[in-house]
Amino acid sequence: MARAISTRRMALNTAIAWTIGAMIFFPILWTFLTSFKTEAQAIADPPVFFLFDWTTENYTTVQERSNYFRHFWNSVVISVGSTLIGLAIAIPAAWSMAFVPSKHTKNILMWMLSTKMLPPVGVLVPIYLIFRDLKLLDTQFGLIIVLTLINLPIIVWMLYTYFKEIPGEILEAARMDGATLRSEVLYILLPMAVPGIASTMLLNIILAWNEAFWTLNLTAAKAAPLTAFIASYSSPEGLFYAKLSAASTMAIAPILIMGWFSQKQLVRGLTFGAVK
Amino acid sequence: MATKASRSAARVMIAPSVLLLLGWMVIPLALTLYFSVLRYNLLMPGANPFIGVENYTYFLTDPAFTDAIINTLLLVGGVLTITVLGGIGLAILLDQPMWGQGIVRILVIAPFFVMPTVSALVWKNMFMNPVNGLFAHLASALGMQPFDFFAIAPLASIIGIVSWQWLPFATLILLTAMQSLDSEQLEAAEMDGAGPLARFRYIMLPHMARAITVVILIQTIFLLSIFAEILVTTNGGPGTASTNLTFLVYAESLLRFDVGTGSAGGVVAIILANIVAIFLMRMIGKNLDT
Repeated sequence: MARAISTRRMALNTAIAWTIGAMIFFPILWTFLTSFKTEAQAIADPPVFFLFDWTTENYTTVQERSNYFRHFWNSVVISVGSTLIGLAIAIPAAWSMAFVPSKHTKNILMWMLSTKMLPPVGVLVPIYLIFRDLKLLDTQFGLIIVLTLINLPIIVWMLYTYFKEIPGEILEAARMDGATLRSEVLYILLPMAVPGIASTMLLNIILAWNEAFWTLNLTAAKAAPLTAFIASYSSPEGLFYAKLSAASTMAIAPILIMGWFSQKQLVRGLTFGAVK
Repeated sequence: MATKASRSAARVMIAPSVLLLLGWMVIPLALTLYFSVLRYNLLMPGANPFIGVENYTYFLTDPAFTDAIINTLLLVGGVLTITVLGGIGLAILLDQPMWGQGIVRILVIAPFFVMPTVSALVWKNMFMNPVNGLFAHLASALGMQPFDFFAIAPLASIIGIVSWQWLPFATLILLTAMQSLDSEQLEAAEMDGAGPLARFRYIMLPHMARAITVVILIQTIFLLSIFAEILVTTNGGPGTASTNLTFLVYAESLLRFDVGTGSAGGVVAIILANIVAIFLMRMIGKNLDT
């Protein structure tokens, strides 16, 4: 039974929460606004908020000067590619651990998780040298391999927790009614598993898109995704705030939108089921 | 219902994941250990003789190592303090009834989705720059001297930026925990005369305890490996003022090309991370049984 909350109390909560929310979000809003200013307006003192001549010039400049969309495309290929390969490897594994558990299942899951605890810098040197010798440095393919491997434990875990929730009895019932293995998988399991697979995919694209250790260390100009491309603004020439903002806005917008849809999965995926 | 056939099928289905992760873990780890006992510098081609623990003594007695350890602890501790305290506060606030709760939630978690290089560069230039940043404009409007964040307090500035990125994570997880708290319990306590502070201390905090531990452990794992934010803002400097262990190993191996010392540093980083990992794994393992 919910208590009646006074309107005054409600208004107070709302005011405090909106103020704090706006403060936390402000840097993102400011980046968005600055991306439509001229470089002079971007550093104006006092700062201009909405009343400036909105221009999309920065977006075209960023594209013309540095072939922005190549890096954007690298990000897409690397994050989606590594997620899809990861799913292809992880779905059978998570599937069999959830439906045909053995006494080793828990140990295997825990061991997989432990690989995620390995600090990347601990294996930086050998990976770098292996990549150099195999000519994988600065290639999309090389990064896809690394990102697939670092996110594989999370993918297996997330899928496992989702598959675990599918009741096994329903399969037995279908089998009793004479369903073949094919129709069992196709008409019963798949429809129940798809939402879990979709959330896993979403979260892992986000993680891979924002990954900034391996992408910075293993790429140069050619295969650099947006994380590495944006890093080139750390040693800029001349005025660059508006251009930095335009490049940043395009880099974070798609992921921000995907992220808002995956709030719930985020908790499950990043705490390995420890908080639900 | 598992038959012998389905068991062996299960093994085949798990094998690719296990073998790939095993390869990913064992091969580089073995190489790191191997390189760490060699004199191996990419700038000096030729034989790479075995030198025992010399790389370790060099790395561990380097003054930069002490600085890096202190900076790592300050970075992890600082960010944890800010995000956990802030996260508890925000979780309780967002759990209250209000108008537009969903929108506030979206605003609060947004920073988590911003890639590290973007958030670091936006904060460094558009906010903390001593001439053109918003904070400098604000300071001069109030008649104060602008503060040169990265020259005077580089590590604290990085702690600020990283906290902004991780506050949403702590908030989201603690809010999830808060929402599973039975509101009738709170109401009963209130009727029995428990003030807000008592309700927080004896009901909310114990209820969130588990989630708080999870937040601390998971964040620690990620925060030990902070790299991009340092690379694009201070490059570890001035001097070693903002160099953490991860950055120091990167500098040894890929800037000074000293593979041997870098590898020894990598082993040290692994040992440190494992201390935290053991506790985290225990908690997650317990949860798996229930």
